[in-house]
Amino acid sequence: MKLKKEELLHFYRKMVEIRKFETKVVELFADGMIPGFVHSYIGEEAVAVGACSNLNDDDYITSTHRGHGHLIAKGGHMDKMMAELFGKETGYCKGKGGSMHIADVDLGILGANGIVGGGFPIAAGAGLSAKMRGTNQVAVCFFGDGASNQTTFHEGINLASIWDLPVVFVCENNMYGISLSQKEHQHIKDISDRATAYGIPGVTVDGNDVIAVYEAVKEAVKRARQGEGPTLIECKTYRHRGHFEGDPTVYRSEEEVEQWKKKDPIKRFRKKLLELGTVTEDELNSIDEEVDKMVEEAVEYAKKGKFPEPEKAVEDVYTDIVEEVRE
Amino acid sequence: MSRVGIIANPASGKDIRRLVAYGTVIDNEEKVNIAKRVILGMVSMGIKEIFIMPDTFGIGDKAIYQLKKRKSIDNQVKILEMTIEGSQNDSTKAANLMKEKGVKCIVTLGGDGTNRAVSKGCGGVPLIPISTGTNNVFPRFMEGTYAGIAAGLIAGWPEDKELFVVNKRLVVVKNGKKVDSALIDAVVSREIFIGARAVWDMEKVTQIIITRGEPTNIGLSSIGGYLYPIKWDEPKGLYIEIGNNLTVRAPIAPGIVKEVGIKKYTVLNIGDKVEVKTKPCTIALDGEREVEFTQNDKGYIMLDTGGPRVVDVKKTLLKGVKNRIFIKEREEI
Amino acid sequence: MRKMTVAEAIREALRLEMKRDERVFIMGEDVGKFGGCFGVTQGLYEEFGPERVKDTPISETAIIGSAVGAAATGMRPVPEIMFCDFLTVPMDQLVNQAAKMRYMFGGKAKIPMTVRVPVGAGMSAAAQHSQCLEAWFIHVPGLKVVMPSTPADHAGLLISSIRDDNPVMFFEHKMLYGVEGEVPDEIEPIPLGKADIKREGEDVTVIATSMMVYKSLEAAKELEKDGISIEVVDPRTLFPLDKETIFESVKKTNRVVIVHEAVKRGGVGAEIAAQIADEMFDYLDAPIKRVAALNVPIPFSPPLEKYVVPDVKDIINAVKSIAR
Repeated sequence: MKLKKEELLHFYRKMVEIRKFETKVVELFADGMIPGFVHSYIGEEAVAVGACSNLNDDDYITSTHRGHGHLIAKGGHMDKMMAELFGKETGYCKGKGGSMHIADVDLGILGANGIVGGGFPIAAGAGLSAKMRGTNQVAVCFFGDGASNQTTFHEGINLASIWDLPVVFVCENNMYGISLSQKEHQHIKDISDRATAYGIPGVTVDGNDVIAVYEAVKEAVKRARQGEGPTLIECKTYRHRGHFEGDPTVYRSEEEVEQWKKKDPIKRFRKKLLELGTVTEDELNSIDEEVDKMVEEAVEYAKKGKFPEPEKAVEDVYTDIVEEVRE
Repeated sequence: MSRVGIIANPASGKDIRRLVAYGTVIDNEEKVNIAKRVILGMVSMGIKEIFIMPDTFGIGDKAIYQLKKRKSIDNQVKILEMTIEGSQNDSTKAANLMKEKGVKCIVTLGGDGTNRAVSKGCGGVPLIPISTGTNNVFPRFMEGTYAGIAAGLIAGWPEDKELFVVNKRLVVVKNGKKVDSALIDAVVSREIFIGARAVWDMEKVTQIIITRGEPTNIGLSSIGGYLYPIKWDEPKGLYIEIGNNLTVRAPIAPGIVKEVGIKKYTVLNIGDKVEVKTKPCTIALDGEREVEFTQNDKGYIMLDTGGPRVVDVKKTLLKGVKNRIFIKEREEI
Repeated sequence: MRKMTVAEAIREALRLEMKRDERVFIMGEDVGKFGGCFGVTQGLYEEFGPERVKDTPISETAIIGSAVGAAATGMRPVPEIMFCDFLTVPMDQLVNQAAKMRYMFGGKAKIPMTVRVPVGAGMSAAAQHSQCLEAWFIHVPGLKVVMPSTPADHAGLLISSIRDDNPVMFFEHKMLYGVEGEVPDEIEPIPLGKADIKREGEDVTVIATSMMVYKSLEAAKELEKDGISIEVVDPRTLFPLDKETIFESVKKTNRVVIVHEAVKRGGVGAEIAAQIADEMFDYLDAPIKRVAALNVPIPFSPPLEKYVVPDVKDIINAVKSIAR
C-alpha cells in the first residue's frame, strides 16, 4: 500500500478536526451551552479516520453514542453537528436527535445510537440491502468493547456471516464499558478472538495508529466488496476523557491515562510525518489553523441558529401523519 | 535451586495475516491450556520454582488458578514481578529478569516475533520455543507436556552444550547504532509506516535477508528455501534482491503461494553486511514491520551468530531416557 | 369475488407485492422451504427463490434489526416473527430503532417495513405462544398497528402496510388462518386508518378486533333474538385509529362495548374507551364496557384457556348489561 501525500494529510486533517471539535464541545458543555449527555471521542480519532478513509460516500456506517468522530470521518459537516448539539433547528436532526443520535443519512450514516450494541443488526441489514440491490456498497459497524457483550453482537455478526454480507465490524476497544474494565466485563482480552466463533477473520490492530487501522479495514472492505463476507477488526484504543462529560472516572488511575496519552494518535502521526520529511511543519500548522477556524465557524453557526418552534416536536414521527399538538 | 521460566505472548497470532492470508488462530484460552501442560511437565520433574511473565490477558494467572483449583500444583509457579505495558517489550523485559534470577531454561509460547523479543533479553539462557503464532519458522508445534519435561531435565543437569543449538541472527544497524535484530528474516519494504505490521504486499518488498530458508519454512524466508536453501545450522545466510530476472514460487504466508520476482541472490557469510538501499522504508523483522528508515537514515543489516540458544528437545529427552531417569526397577525382582 | 382463507389472502397479498416491487422481500424463521410455521408463506420460496424468501436463524433481534437496516437503505422488508410472544426478544430494535429513527434523524430516514405477527390463543399453546400484545405497540409513537379480521381485510391492509413508508406491526390471529371469506378478484389496497362496520345496528356499538369480530357477529345473532340490535365496528388499524367511524356509531347507539382478546388491563380497549369518554361524553347513555381476557397469562389446559379468553357469552352479557 503506497500512500500519497494527500492521503496522509487527509488522515491528519480529519483526526485534527475530530480532536478540535471534541475539545470545543467539552468546553461548551462545561459552559452549559450544550444540554444532555456528551461522550467525547478524544483519544480514539485514529479508529474513525483509519476506517472511514476506506469508504465511499454511499457506503454505510452505524455509529455509537460516542459518534461525533465517525460523522466527521465519514465526511459530515461540523457546523450542522454543532448546531444539533446545541439543540438548534439548523442542526442535522432539527434538534430532535442531539449528540447521541447524530445522523447524516445522505452520507450513509445510519445514526449514532443511544443503545449500546444497537447497530449490529442494522449494519447487517444495510449490508443485506446492498447485496440484494447488487451495489458495491459496504457497511461498517462501529462498536465498543462493552457492546461486544450484548446479544446483538452475536445475532448481527452471525447473520452477516451466514449470508456473507458486506459488513466490517470495527471494535473500538477502549478497555472500559462505562466504569467496568474489560477484565471485569469479559473473560477474554482480544475481542477479535470471537471471530472464530462465526467462521470469519478476526484481527487486532493498534487503534491509536491510523495507518494500522486503515490497512486492516482496507483489506476487510476489499474482502466485503468481493462478496467474501464480514470481518471483525479490533482496534485497541483509549478514551482520554470519561465515559461522559462529568464522569469522575474513579475507576481508572491517573498513571494509566498518562500512559495512553503518550500514545496519542495525533501526536504520534504528526511526529512520524515530520520524521519522514514528506510534509513540513508549516503545512501541518496551517491545517491546524484551518481547523481552528472551521470549529469557530461551526460554533458561530450553531449559536446563530434558532431553537426549533416547540410545535415542531409533533412532526417527523411518521412520513404521513402529524401528531396532535398540545392544546 | 533449579529455576525455569515461561513466557507466553498474549498477542501472538492475532495480526492481519488472519485476514490477508490464512494465518493460524490460537486464542488465549488455548495458550492457558498449553501453559498448564508445560507447568505440569516441569513439576513432574520436581521443579520447585517456575516463573511466568505477567501479561494483559493473565495467561499465567489463569493457568495457576486453574491448576491450584484441581490441586495439581502447590506454590511452585510464580508470576514474575514486573510492570507490563502490553507490548513486545514485556517479553524482552521478562526474559531479562528471568536471566537475572538464574533460570536454566525458558519455554516460550508465541511465534517468530515473540522469540525475537525474548532473544533480545534472555542472554545465554536456552529456549524451548512452542509455536502459537502466525508465522512460525523459529518455534515448533510441540506438545507442552514434554516441552516442560525437557525444561525440567535441563534445569536439573549441569550445562551440556551438546543439547543446545546456537542460532544465527540479523542485526539492524541504523546510523551507526544497533537498533534491533531478527532471528529468521529482515525484509526491506517501501511501506513507510509500521501500520498493521505484517508484510503481505510483495510489490512493496525490495530486499530480503535471511538467516535460514528451507522448503519447510513458511513466510518470506521460504523464498530462500525454494531458491537456494540455507539450513538453520549452516554458518551462512542469503541475500535476495527483488526484481525481474527470474521468479520463484514460494509459500510467502500461511496459505499463500506466490511467484516472486528475483533480481539476484547472494550467499552471506557470518559478519557480512547488506546495505539498506530503499529509502524511506520499513524493515520487517521476522514478519512484522519494526524499524523505520527515513530518506536521511543510513544503515545495514548484518548476519552474526548472536542468536539465542535453543534446546534440542528430542536429544534432551533421549539423554534422560538413556540415563534411566524415567525408569524405576522394583528392587525385589 | 372469490373464496379465500385468511392465510391464502395474506399469501396472495405478499405474492402481488413481491411481483410488483422487487424491493419487497420476506424474512423470518422457517418462512422458506418449510412454508412458515402456519403455512402462510407456502409456495413463495419456490416462486421467488431463497434470496427473497429468506430463512433466518432463530434470532429475532437480527430479523428485526436487519429489516430496519435494509428498510433504511432502500428495501421494503416484510419480516415475520413466528409468535407474537417472541416480540419481547427484538423489542429494542422495534421500539428504539425502527420506531424512532426517522424522528431522531429529523425526518430524514424512512423505515418501510411490515412486521407480520401471528397472535392469539385457542390451540393450547400456553403462556408463551398465545398472547396478543398489540397494545404495547400503539404506545410507541413511530409505529403503525394493524389488526384485521376478514380475509379481504388481511389482503388489502397488508398491501397498504407494505407500501407504507413507516414501520407497521401487522397482527394476524393464528386461529383465523383457516377461516374463509369473500375476497375481490382484484385485490385493492385498503387504506390504514379506516374502520369497517361489519354489521349495522341500532342499540349498542360493539368495537371488536381480530377474532373478536367473529365472536361479536355471533353474539349479534343471539342478541337479535332478544330484540337487541348491535353495530359491530372493526377498527382494523389500531393506529392510526379511525375515530370518525367509531364516533359516528356512538352517536347513533349511545352505548359502547369494546371487545379484544388481549388482557383487559392496559389493553387497546382502555385507549379507545378513554377517547370516547373524552370526546363523546355527551352522547353516552351508559358506561363503556370492556370485554377482554382475564388479567392472567394464557393457561395450557383447554378448559382453563377457554375460560380466560372472552367468548360470545361474555359479549352478550356485556351488551345486555347496558342495553336499553
